[in-house]
Amino acid sequence: MGTISVEHGDRLFWLGRYTERAYTTIKSLEKLYDRTIDSGHEEYRDYLAAFGLNDTYGGREDFFRSFIFDGENPSSVAASLVKAYDNGIVLREEISTEALSFLQMAMDRLEHISHSSKALCLSLLSLVDIIFGFWGCLGENVYDEEIKTIIECGKYVERLDLDLRLKCPFSMVEKEFGRLCTNLRKVPKNTPYRYNTNQLCTLVELMGMGENYTESKEEAISALGRLFEPVKRTVLAG
Amino acid sequence: MKSEIKTENLDLEVPIANVDEINELLRRYGVKFGIYKNGVFKEQLFPFDPIPRIITAQEFAAIEKGLIQRVDALNMFIYDIYHDKKIIADNVVPEDFVYISSGYLPQCEGVTPPKNIYSHISGIDLVLGKDGEWYILEDNLRIPSGASYPLIARELTRVASPKAFTDNPIVDNRNYAQLLRDTMDNVNCGGINAILTPGRYNAAYFEHSYLAELSGAALVSNDELFVENNVLYHKTYSGGRTKIGALYRRISDEYLDPLTFEAKSLIGIPNLMEAYRAGNVAIINAPGNGVADDKGIYYFVPKMIKYYLGEEPILKNAPTYLPFYEEDRKYVLENIGKLVIKDVAEAGGYGVVFGSDLSAEKLEEFRQTIIREPRRFIAQEVIDFCDLPIFEGNEKVMRKADLRAFVLSGEKTRVWASGLTRFSRNPDSFVVNSSQGGGFKDTWVLSR
Repeated sequence: MGTISVEHGDRLFWLGRYTERAYTTIKSLEKLYDRTIDSGHEEYRDYLAAFGLNDTYGGREDFFRSFIFDGENPSSVAASLVKAYDNGIVLREEISTEALSFLQMAMDRLEHISHSSKALCLSLLSLVDIIFGFWGCLGENVYDEEIKTIIECGKYVERLDLDLRLKCPFSMVEKEFGRLCTNLRKVPKNTPYRYNTNQLCTLVELMGMGENYTESKEEAISALGRLFEPVKRTVLAG
Repeated sequence: MKSEIKTENLDLEVPIANVDEINELLRRYGVKFGIYKNGVFKEQLFPFDPIPRIITAQEFAAIEKGLIQRVDALNMFIYDIYHDKKIIADNVVPEDFVYISSGYLPQCEGVTPPKNIYSHISGIDLVLGKDGEWYILEDNLRIPSGASYPLIARELTRVASPKAFTDNPIVDNRNYAQLLRDTMDNVNCGGINAILTPGRYNAAYFEHSYLAELSGAALVSNDELFVENNVLYHKTYSGGRTKIGALYRRISDEYLDPLTFEAKSLIGIPNLMEAYRAGNVAIINAPGNGVADDKGIYYFVPKMIKYYLGEEPILKNAPTYLPFYEEDRKYVLENIGKLVIKDVAEAGGYGVVFGSDLSAEKLEEFRQTIIREPRRFIAQEVIDFCDLPIFEGNEKVMRKADLRAFVLSGEKTRVWASGLTRFSRNPDSFVVNSSQGGGFKDTWVLSR
């Protein structure tokens, strides 16, 4: 296709972010669900706290249903999938009808699971399969490296953001940071997804803190959020 | 579940996949159309019926010849109207009939599109009468839509029901994107091919995006385009620009360029017409075509064929009357109860009234409106056209159906060996438009 507009660039980035948000939300909720089986039912409040949210839920089951199925909850899997589809639908010629169909299938599957009597995590397996299918299909059908890179930048920014918020072990955060950097290196100069050097330096410094990164978690999240801000150039008076 | 269907009039056994299976696939691939109801946008499936319309090779050959003849004449007519106006000078088409048409655009006077082609993609609506004759109902020369539906339906039906295609000699219709690409390439003035969409919330957005994907054209919206020194460019996200040589626009003439047409248009591109006039971009279909697909001008198409090509029309018009002419008006007023009246300004199945559906009081009201505004209407005999079988649940029922054939004018004029067969889901209705609840079928053209 060879020509990417500003709007489509933005949509590609957010397609990557929202699809990944759906996936990482499922994975973190699965782990949380597993923990709450043994450690008591209130642990979900830690998850809410990580996002600065209050507990307005009627208990553990209500929390999980809301964060998975409730399209009105902006942090839910359902809302993320709808937003991923909304971005994907205007990118058909970049990502292919085939890849787009996986997002439709994911939404349909989630709707189906919401009525299922099966155990929650068991039901979610098939949804995760579809999301993996989406990424595989994208890899297969998209030949333009620039398009792939923008989507992947969105994907790994999202993943790193969630890992930082949930204070994941440094070994995990470091790996995801490495994957993000691999993609950042491929971004052509003078494009909106060329990284802001100052913010990237801040992230590198914070990663240098190792396990202690959590002490500067907020700073890291802020730098990540500003990673694609245009670099302000200072003109020195002569 | 599979159903064995014996097709009407043909000795073919066509195993068809379950309608639910196909509709599930259509849903999966996002085959939807948008519709506004009470100001709210909704996307819905275009109901698909798996029993195809079947056209034999011999029948198609005749239709093809007739359609090529018709579209060639229409292209010559549009050129003539915006240049020499010989057909008016020779009193074949009355002057005022042309100039009061809302589709006539004085801004297109003297402008010659690349290779003199105005209607690159023509959607011609036909019906098969019970007398075995095909009749033309309408010529759509502006932005006819619908090709993508049978195109993707064929792709999916082949997946769900391969036996139908191994057992029957069906012409593969999946070359539409290539035909479209050839059509764009033929008039491309240097640069990329692009499809201009009004956006995601347009009723035909699926079609815009699907055709862009298959033809390799860039799908663009107006805010990504600009004209500089009479050249149309696409703004890239890196701050660069890509020249556009052919623009397949899916927005109406009046919104194309706010500096030439509707000044309030928010979906147009300022100075696009300047780039077009300078010969730097082909606009597909060309602006101004509406003068030839006006419901009033339809009446004159057989005369155009004789005038420009010196041939007898191969395909017939439905018998049509123009209340504009006194003799026709008299007939229409006397026979209004058995005619179908069409408002020439309306499209999409709107503005179509069957006299037989009106009360005596309403008929009289309508007579007075026709007397007051004779140019606004045409009247046609109701053609008793063939019903086609469709599934309603598991039951097979008969419904009214038409065929939109697609004619692409490139280096040569070609007819796509398929088409969009639309049907009414209402047993009492002749209106097949998707916006009014109609469904669609694939159209199989046999290779022998």
